Amino acid sequence: MLQDLLGALGLASIYLLFALGMSLTWGTIDILNFSHGSIFMFSAFTAHLLIPYVPMGFVGVALVCIVVGALMSLLVQVVAFEQIIKRARNRNTAERQILIGGIGVAIIPLAIAQEVTKSNPFGFIDSGFEVTTWTFMGLRGTNILLITLTAAAALAVGTAMWLRRSRHGLALRSIGVDSEVSAMMGVDRRRLAIVTMAVSGGLAGLAACLFTYTLGAITPESGDTLLIKAFACIILGGVGSTGGVVLGSVLLAVTETVVLTRTSGLWVEAVAFGLIFLVLLVKPSGLFGRKEVRRT
Amino acid sequence: MSAADATATRPVLEIRDLAVHFGGVKAVDRLSMRLDEGRIYGIIGPNGSGKSTLLGAVTRLTPLTSGEILFDGEPFHTVHASQIAAKRIARTFQTVRLLPDVSVRDNIQLGADAARGDVDERRGWWARNFGTHTSPAVASAIARTRLGGFEDYRPAEMSYGTQRRVEIARALALDPRLLLLDEPTAGMNQRERGEISTLLKELRDEGLTQLLVEHDVQMMVDTCDYVFAMNLGTVIAQGRPEDVVRDPQVQEAYLGKKFRHA
Amino acid sequence: MSDFYAANLVLIQSTFIGILLAVSVQVPMRAGVFSFAGAGSYGIGAYVSAILVLKTGMPSLLAILMSGIVAMVVGLLLGLLVAHLGGLYLAMATVSFDLIVSVLAINGGDLTGGVTGLFGVLSDVTIFHLIGLALLGIVGVALTERGRVGRRVDAVRDDPELAQSVGISVRRYRLAAFVVSGLLGSVAGSLNSLVRSTISPSDIGFSLIVLALTMIIVGGAQSWKGAVLGAVIFTWLPPLLAGFGQLQHVVYGVIVATAAIFVPGGLYGIYSEARYRRTRAKRKTPQREAPAHEQALAISVPNGDAGRSA
Repeated sequence: MLQDLLGALGLASIYLLFALGMSLTWGTIDILNFSHGSIFMFSAFTAHLLIPYVPMGFVGVALVCIVVGALMSLLVQVVAFEQIIKRARNRNTAERQILIGGIGVAIIPLAIAQEVTKSNPFGFIDSGFEVTTWTFMGLRGTNILLITLTAAAALAVGTAMWLRRSRHGLALRSIGVDSEVSAMMGVDRRRLAIVTMAVSGGLAGLAACLFTYTLGAITPESGDTLLIKAFACIILGGVGSTGGVVLGSVLLAVTETVVLTRTSGLWVEAVAFGLIFLVLLVKPSGLFGRKEVRRT
Repeated sequence: MSAADATATRPVLEIRDLAVHFGGVKAVDRLSMRLDEGRIYGIIGPNGSGKSTLLGAVTRLTPLTSGEILFDGEPFHTVHASQIAAKRIARTFQTVRLLPDVSVRDNIQLGADAARGDVDERRGWWARNFGTHTSPAVASAIARTRLGGFEDYRPAEMSYGTQRRVEIARALALDPRLLLLDEPTAGMNQRERGEISTLLKELRDEGLTQLLVEHDVQMMVDTCDYVFAMNLGTVIAQGRPEDVVRDPQVQEAYLGKKFRHA
Repeated sequence: MSDFYAANLVLIQSTFIGILLAVSVQVPMRAGVFSFAGAGSYGIGAYVSAILVLKTGMPSLLAILMSGIVAMVVGLLLGLLVAHLGGLYLAMATVSFDLIVSVLAINGGDLTGGVTGLFGVLSDVTIFHLIGLALLGIVGVALTERGRVGRRVDAVRDDPELAQSVGISVRRYRLAAFVVSGLLGSVAGSLNSLVRSTISPSDIGFSLIVLALTMIIVGGAQSWKGAVLGAVIFTWLPPLLAGFGQLQHVVYGVIVATAAIFVPGGLYGIYSEARYRRTRAKRKTPQREAPAHEQALAISVPNGDAGRSA
């Protein structure tokens, strides 16, 4: 049982790292980035491609993933989302177009990876980092699990602190993505948005690195699966609350583990969807939600 | 009050002890008002005095905290916002609200769609809902607001003042018994203002009861029969425009020393 | 002509099915309801019809009708449940609904055929059924874009508060959008499983949502004409690009992203905008005052200004 719990915590950490990036952009600059999953996958994919040519070790792989993730997110923000916001007539339209634009952008890295790998799993074999297992008090763990747990905890705390600081600077954020006002706000807001997106992408990259080492290999579709789960974590905990994302990740991972061990594996996917639906029905602002859930 | 007022029976609109609180803010607080048929009433007051909130409460877009609103003697603060039009209450908004992708004619037709005029009732359900006819009420509203020639324009092509006239036309097309106007002449030039004032007075002579929220004191004095001055969510003075304007409480709250009455 | 027909029968069938799927997502969008539940209704229609025909030998049209009713009821319930949601949250709730439908299909045991789905669903559906039902759907949707109903739907989308003040029951229109979307999606799904004689969970997953979205984003969400345009394009384009393997999806991704950024009204939007510009240029009546864009901010931003205190 304790072993399962440990596994669930490891899973929760992965979810958390992935969801933190999404929660960051959603909570501060009102952008729900649907290409987050694709960026996640593609950063690991890039590392996978580079490994045969460049000796890297764990740090190298992690760095590649983080940098690729950050750059891709940055690109998406500048090329796609900023343009949408500039052109949108009102907040609702911008929100909708960003969602759709994100979905469109997400297709591109997915297709490239699918073409190259023929939808086969890929991993970090021969990267110079070996996953080792140890046993402690009857519990089995791996070094990657330790790294993941540590990283998740550290980054959650770091993100919470960042959010608090940037909230001061973003006192006007509640005006949202009104194109007229954001034009007036000028450089500072734009710069903060780009940085936030880049950080979010970096987090996705790190999550991808740890995830791939944990599982051994991922498929091009792995990103999209995690996307929905991350959404569940954020919705459950409440948009804008880092503590909420942590709680949401733990709850989701634990529930999935319980469902997995008690029933057939096919219901596990339903946990995320079911949770999203339930939360939105009953308490859309989530457990610790800060944002009001506007009705059109 | 004149003898005519004393003989008026049921008021068209009566507000008793209305309160609208948002969190800690008392936007409207213990307000009572009575509007008799066939007169133009005005509300003046500084920003934040609760004028638009009052209109929102009357049109049921804003929930009441306490108090009563009676329309034609019937309590109606429990009526849903979408049923106001059926009671022939029409309004315009503080910031112009027109459908941006739709012509002036169709925007005005939105008001006529709400009315249950004789002409439309004679058509079958099918023609009424899917037919592309334009109601006569639209043509007459366009004529009265001097929007002839603008029928095919879209809002973005017109000046702010002209857009406001479209809003008024939409309200008229509804064939209302009570017309609520929220700063209808903001953004209009002097000539347009005069035209609107004349129009409203004509409508009053035809029996239409009106409540006008206005910032422009001259417009108020020229157009209204009876004025309520609001401040901090309640009525601080009421009466004929000339009298209210000279009331010292009103002057202190709103006019300051800038206004010079001729 | 008949050679073309024979060679491309599958594509022609898919076109009509695609049209129905596209309008099932377009109808709520046009009413301002950001719902993807059409894809879930597609799944409901596909499975319920397949099950009815397979297990009871029911005639196709009756099966399509029955699944349509089921989907409409489900649509109504869904609409009631999510009535308090808007924007992104509504979208995600409906996406969850869609994915729950596919999970139910996977876990349906013998009834739904589990992961492999159902086979051998033999039916008497002909191309005339497809055309007829698609036309019926289009005509129905086209009607809602006309006259009083059309204006009111526009109002519900662009300014719900204004809509209420002119006597429109916004709630009723939104619920109707869910019900209609359910019916249209369901018919599309039913036709698909009956024409292909098979249905499996992989036919109704997230990729279906992406397909529907692609069709109406590129075609244009404002009107059924955009939905039809999008359906035709994205049924006939894939075979043309099949030589590129998975990379053809890069093309779709670029198209969708470009449309989302630069052309939110889709191709039909470009056309109708151009038509409007042309009639505007031909107008002879001079404007008496300076047009709004030469003055300060004119058109209100409805969402930002609702509920302002005086």
